[in-house]
Amino acid sequence: MPEAVSLLYQFGTNAAFLLLSALGLIVILGMMNIINLAHGEFMMLGAYAATASVQRGVPFPLAVLIAAVAVGLFGVVIERLIVRRFYGRELGALVVTWGISLILGQGALLLFGPFMPPIAIPGGAVALGDYSFSVYWLFLIVLCGVLLAALAFVYRATRFGLQARAAMQNARMARALGIRVDRIYMATFALGAALAGLSGALLAPTTSIAPFMGQQFVAPAFITVVVGGGASVIGGALGSSGLLSLVQTPVAFLFGTFSGTLALLLTALVVIRLLPGGVSSIGRYFTRRSLAAAR
Amino acid sequence: MDTPTPSKDAAAPDAAEAAATGPRRRDVLVAGLATAGAVLARPAIVRAASETPVKVGFIEDESGNLSIYGVQKLHAAQLAVQEINDGYTLAGGPVGMGGLGSDGMYAPKAPLLTASGSKLDVIDAGGTPSQKGIVVSDDQEILVKSGEKGLLGRPVNLVSADGQSNNTLWQQLARRMIQQDQVDVLVAGFASAEREAIRPIVDQRKQLYFYTNQYEGGVADSHTFCTGAVCEQQVIPVMQYMVEKFGPKIFTIAANYNFGQLTASWVRSFAPVLKAKVIGEEFPPLEVSEFSSVIARVQQAKPDWVMTLLVGQNQSNYYPQAAAAGLHLPMASTINMAQGYEHKRFKPPSLANMHNAVNYMQEIPTKRNQDFVQRFYKMFPNDPYLGQMAQNTYFSIHLYAKAARLAGTTDQEKVRRTLEAGWTIEAPEGSVFLEPATHHATHYIRLAVANAKHEISFVREWPSIEPWWLQRLGVNLARTPEKKQYTPDDDPFFKMFK
Repeated sequence: MPEAVSLLYQFGTNAAFLLLSALGLIVILGMMNIINLAHGEFMMLGAYAATASVQRGVPFPLAVLIAAVAVGLFGVVIERLIVRRFYGRELGALVVTWGISLILGQGALLLFGPFMPPIAIPGGAVALGDYSFSVYWLFLIVLCGVLLAALAFVYRATRFGLQARAAMQNARMARALGIRVDRIYMATFALGAALAGLSGALLAPTTSIAPFMGQQFVAPAFITVVVGGGASVIGGALGSSGLLSLVQTPVAFLFGTFSGTLALLLTALVVIRLLPGGVSSIGRYFTRRSLAAAR
Repeated sequence: MDTPTPSKDAAAPDAAEAAATGPRRRDVLVAGLATAGAVLARPAIVRAASETPVKVGFIEDESGNLSIYGVQKLHAAQLAVQEINDGYTLAGGPVGMGGLGSDGMYAPKAPLLTASGSKLDVIDAGGTPSQKGIVVSDDQEILVKSGEKGLLGRPVNLVSADGQSNNTLWQQLARRMIQQDQVDVLVAGFASAEREAIRPIVDQRKQLYFYTNQYEGGVADSHTFCTGAVCEQQVIPVMQYMVEKFGPKIFTIAANYNFGQLTASWVRSFAPVLKAKVIGEEFPPLEVSEFSSVIARVQQAKPDWVMTLLVGQNQSNYYPQAAAAGLHLPMASTINMAQGYEHKRFKPPSLANMHNAVNYMQEIPTKRNQDFVQRFYKMFPNDPYLGQMAQNTYFSIHLYAKAARLAGTTDQEKVRRTLEAGWTIEAPEGSVFLEPATHHATHYIRLAVANAKHEISFVREWPSIEPWWLQRLGVNLARTPEKKQYTPDDDPFFKMFK
C-alpha cells in the first residue's frame, strides 16, 4: 500500500514537473505557434524575481504573484520591441528568441553572479510506512490542475479567449470582425510569459537559482507541448504529461532515473512518429469519425 | 572514531628554498639565454625575452552548469599569479616528505566552526588539550619571499578563457591556448569529461598540463600533473568512517558521466574490503533536477547511509528536495560541500550529517589556512566560497613557478623533468608532496562533517595519504611514458574480495 502511494506520488510529481515546465509554452507555442527558445529564461526570471522578493521579506505566495506580474510585463516589452515583428515567420522567431535567451542568461550572470541564495522549500514532509512525501510537491500537483483548469476556462469561456482563438486561427478575418488582433497577440504573449514566470517562481524553492537554470525546463517543456499536439493545447499537454510520466515513473523506480529519462524520450519519439498531431489528435480523430458517421 | 590528532612531518623546506633561491642571478641569465634562443627560433615573437611574460594558460567554466566551481578556481589562480608577480612563493622545495611528527597533547574533540560568512569564527575550540598522541608540527608562515618579482625576471600572465561548461568549446580553447597563445603551462579542467576532452590535444602537443580537481583517479599521463585528491585518498577514508559509524549498507547516487560512474565503481570495489555492501545505485544524468523517484528508491532500499556524488547546479537540488521529502539519512561524498559549498547555498538542514573526506575546505582552522582565506577574500571580498579545487589551483600555480625557477627556464620538457624531482609544497591544507612516478599528490585529508545548522567540524585527520593506487598498478611516468586512464576494473586486487 505505501508503495502504491509512493508510485502515485512520483507519478504526480513527474507530471507536475512536466506541466509546470510547459505552462507558459502551452500559450506561446501551443496557441500562438511561436517557437520560444527563451522560455527557460522567462522561468529563470520568475525564479529570480521570487527569490529577490523573498529575500526582502515578502511572503512566498505574494512573491510568486510578483514574479508572474513582473515577467508578464517583461513579456509585453519583448513582444512590442521584438517578437511582434516575427509573427508568421516561425524560423525567424526561433532564432530571435534564441538570441533573447542568450542575452538573458548571460545578462543574469553579469548582473547577479553565478548563483543566488535559494528559498527554503515551504511545508514539511508527511510519512507513510517507509516512504515520506514533500508537502510542497503535493501542493504543486494540486495547483497544476487548478492552473490548467483556469487556463482552459479563460481560453474557452471568456470573451478574451474567444477573440484570441479567432485571432490565432485567422488574423485577417478576426481583424475584419473588429477584433484588435495586435492587442490580442500582445496580451496572449504576456499571459504566456506571466505563466512561465509563475511556474519559474513556483519551482524556485526546489532548484538552484542560477543564470542558466532555465535550460533544465526547456526540453521537458517542448516535449510536453509537442507530444500534446495542437488540436487542443491544454488537453493535449495534460494528456502528454500524464502519458509521459505514466511510462517514466515505473521505469525510473525499477531501473533508475537514467532509464526513466530514456523511457520518457522514447515514448515521445514513438508518439510523435505515430501521431504527428500529438496526443490531442486522438480526440480530433474520433470527433471526425463520429461526425462522418452522423452524416 | 575519535581523532588521534594527526601527525605529519615538518618537511624542512628552508634548505630547499635556499637551494632554489641561492644562485638566482645565474639562473636568470641562463634562462634569458635559453629564451633568447627560443625567440630566435620563433621569429613571430619580436619583443625582447626579458619583457615576454610567462603565460599560464587557464580554462575554467565561468558560466553554465559548472560555473559555481569555475569562478572560485579562476580567482585562486589570479591570487597565485599576483603573489608570484609581487615576489612571493609558497614554502617548499624538491625534497620528499620527512618522518612522522612527535608525541604531544591534543584537544578531546574536534573544533566547531561557524557556517556563516567568511570570518570562520571558531564556535567551540574543542576544550583544553588533554589527550596525548602524535601531533603535527606545522609551519604557519607558508608565504615566503621568492627573491624576485615575477618568474625568471619575467612577469607572469594569466591567459584565461571561459569553457562555458561545454566540452566542444573546451577542445577549441585548449587548441587555441596551446597553438596560438603558446602558453608555458596549462592549468585547466573541472569535470572529468572536460579533462578527457582536452587531454589528447595536450598529449599531441606535449603541453605541460596541471589538472587541479579532485577526481576519480587513474590518469597516468606523462604531460599531465593531477594535483587534486583521488579516490584512494577520499573514498576509502570516508567509507571506512561511515561503515564504522553508521553501518554496512550503502546506497550510491552518482552523476552519470565518467567521474560518477568510476567513483561509484570505487565504492563498489572497496565495499567488500570493509565488509560493507552497496545495496543500490542510481546514476541520474546531469540534466536531471527533479529527484522524487531517486528519493523513493532510496527509501525503498533502506540503506544505513547514502554516498552522494552529485555534480552541477541541477543535481545539487537533490539535497533540499530530499530534506523536504523527509529523507534524513547520513550522507557521504567526495565532492559536495568542498566544491559547490552546498552547506552555504542550501538552507539548513538540507546538508545535515554530510561527511566528506576533503583535502581542503576554507573552514580548516589552522593559522596558515586562515591567513590564506584572508588573502583570498581581501582580493575578492564578494566571493561566496573558497573551495577544494580553488586551493589546489592556487598551490599548483605556485608549484609550477617554483619548478620553473629551479629549472631556470620555462622550457616545458625541462620543467616537467624538474617537477619529477619530487616536490613538497606548503599548501594552505598542509604539506603536499608531488609524487614523481605517478604525477599525483600526497594530501592532508580531513573528514569534514556538517551538523544540522551546517556548521563544519573536522572529526578525523589523516596528515598524509599517498596516491598509492597507480603505484600498485606499476605506473612510473618518470621512466615509462603513458597516456591512459586506469579504472578499478584494471586492478586484479579488487576482484579478490568479490
